[in-house]
Amino acid sequence: MLFRPNPTSGVPLYLQLMEQVKHAVETGALRPGEQLPGIRPLAEELVMNPNTVAKAYRELEHEGVIELRHGAGAFVAASARAKKVTDKLRAGQAIVAAAVERLHARGVTDEEIRRLFEAELAGLTKPGGHRE
Amino acid sequence: MSDPLIIEAADLRKDYGHVEALRGLNLQVPVGSIFGFLGRNGAGKTTTIKVLLGMARPTSGRVRVFDLPADVPEQSVHIRRRTGFVSEEKDLYDSMTVEEIVRFTAAFYPRWRADLEQRYARKFELPPDRKVKALSRGMRTKLALLLALCRGADLLVLDEPTSGLDPAVAEEVLQALVAHVAGEGLTVFFSSHQIAEVDQIADRVAIVDHGRAVAGGLLEDLREGYRRIQLVFDGEAPAPVFQSPGIVRVGREGRVITVLTSSDADRVLDEARLLNPVSVDIVPVSLKEIFLETVTAED
Amino acid sequence: MLWYKSWLETRWRFLIGLALLMCSTAGVILIHPRLMALMPMADTIDPVGELGQRIKESVDLSRTYRGYVWSQLFRQNLTQMGTLFAILLGTGGLFSYSSGGAALFTLSLPASRNRVVGVRAAAGLAEWLVLAFVPSLLIPMLSPAVGEAYGVGDVLAHSLCLFVGGSVFFSLAFLLSTVFPDLWRPMLMACAVAVVLAIAGQAFREISRYGVFGVMSGEDYFRTGALPWLGLVVSVAATTVMLYASALNVARQDF
Repeated sequence: MLFRPNPTSGVPLYLQLMEQVKHAVETGALRPGEQLPGIRPLAEELVMNPNTVAKAYRELEHEGVIELRHGAGAFVAASARAKKVTDKLRAGQAIVAAAVERLHARGVTDEEIRRLFEAELAGLTKPGGHRE
Repeated sequence: MSDPLIIEAADLRKDYGHVEALRGLNLQVPVGSIFGFLGRNGAGKTTTIKVLLGMARPTSGRVRVFDLPADVPEQSVHIRRRTGFVSEEKDLYDSMTVEEIVRFTAAFYPRWRADLEQRYARKFELPPDRKVKALSRGMRTKLALLLALCRGADLLVLDEPTSGLDPAVAEEVLQALVAHVAGEGLTVFFSSHQIAEVDQIADRVAIVDHGRAVAGGLLEDLREGYRRIQLVFDGEAPAPVFQSPGIVRVGREGRVITVLTSSDADRVLDEARLLNPVSVDIVPVSLKEIFLETVTAED
Repeated sequence: MLWYKSWLETRWRFLIGLALLMCSTAGVILIHPRLMALMPMADTIDPVGELGQRIKESVDLSRTYRGYVWSQLFRQNLTQMGTLFAILLGTGGLFSYSSGGAALFTLSLPASRNRVVGVRAAAGLAEWLVLAFVPSLLIPMLSPAVGEAYGVGDVLAHSLCLFVGGSVFFSLAFLLSTVFPDLWRPMLMACAVAVVLAIAGQAFREISRYGVFGVMSGEDYFRTGALPWLGLVVSVAATTVMLYASALNVARQDF
């Protein structure tokens, strides 16, 4: 269910992994309370550095998507928190879809859209703006 | 640096006659990392590895492995007792069979792991009675890897481990490395010019060019630090003058100025805005681009 | 395991050498009666000139069994073929490109270079020891078959001389192998040295007994019953120096 991140996409590998987990939670592939693969087996399966997997898990725990139970492993967070994340993502997805449609209407290509988003996320296109 | 260093080189120099292979190389590999050593052919990767393992003696400089001086032959034996090595050419005894060379190597290592030997022999599907010279390139690499992994070593040194391998075998090799690191807690130091594989499994890198380390550190830091900033101007672009310390390269072409910086992109942007560009673009830089930019910057 | 690797590298040279030397020894002994039957004809040779003198000298030596064994085996076959095989056994080495490549593999093992060189030298010398002693032990074994006798003591003395003298060529080839990475140059150069020394030995007969071939054939022992102590000591010294130099070469080499 989790597939290998793309090292050449410019997006950090741990972020890609986080996105995959969040997407899996949102679509229901991973249910609240369900256990995720261990860090080592997952690193081995995806052929990634174990530290990168560990970082993704830590960040996911920080965001409340998963829980790291000492000695037992990583589990998808209980309904409420997980649902909060999926709701947030679903709302976000709607906004992105609307924005992409409007940009397409203006004749902006997909590649240009991608670049605009990356630049925006780098947080530095606004005058005097800094990354959040 | 809080982690102890398993490999440390300071101002390492190596001359072969008039050729300066290493010109003051600095290297710091912490315990437990998967460390990618990137460089073009002839940049000094193999020479560095040979110095680490006592196969070549440095002209000057300091080099320590396991906190032992690698240029002292008696100490180098101790280093090799705890190190597994795979050479670029996958050097092995051609006339021995797979079984023979495994037994031969095992005899040198009291910490030889028979359990790992079983596992990898099965996983890599190595025929015990076949002569080494009759093995395909992929099998040969896997055999060399087995011999390195089963030594009970604390450090693995690999010179271009996936060179010449088809993608499936290359992935097998990388997977074995990742599994081994995760399971056994050792350090991997590998040289490569395949950026993708370094991207995939390394957590730290050093980029070496013309015998010197030109960039390095945590891979995450590199990815988050390097940015390419493009400024477009209404008329001819002004002469770019940037004070930021992290700038690698500044280019000007017509109405466009392009800046590549390794850190402090914010500062560069502040300076850039003072020039009143019409548009400012900022994008992350892939490891491949970082590599290409830092190694050609010296030409 | 280094011993095993050394054995693998040299075993065919050793086995072939052993077979050849044993066959040669057996052949020379077993043919003795037939040659003795031809002796009367030899008396008719007129010793004309240098060549004639030498032929007569050689024939005269063969009139006694002891002389026959010495001139045909110790002075000729065993010394000549032995020199060749001593050179062959000394050529190569575990770090040369000829030993199935993989110098880097050997260098990555936790064995010091001195140990690797030492084991290879010791293994090669052990093989040479066998080549120097075993074929000649056939002499006392087979001599009764042709109605003659030859003392084991004499064999041991000659074999010792053969071994010590031949070790010089072994270590010469060994040393050259640490200078040149291929197989051919050390071998051919050592053979060239042997040939030059042999020619010099022929040209300067009077002092040939003091040369390396004189030591190998045990000429002093044959003629006087005393071992060529000086020659043996010099040979041992030369061997030691060359092997030591080989170790130094390997120690300071960059691979």
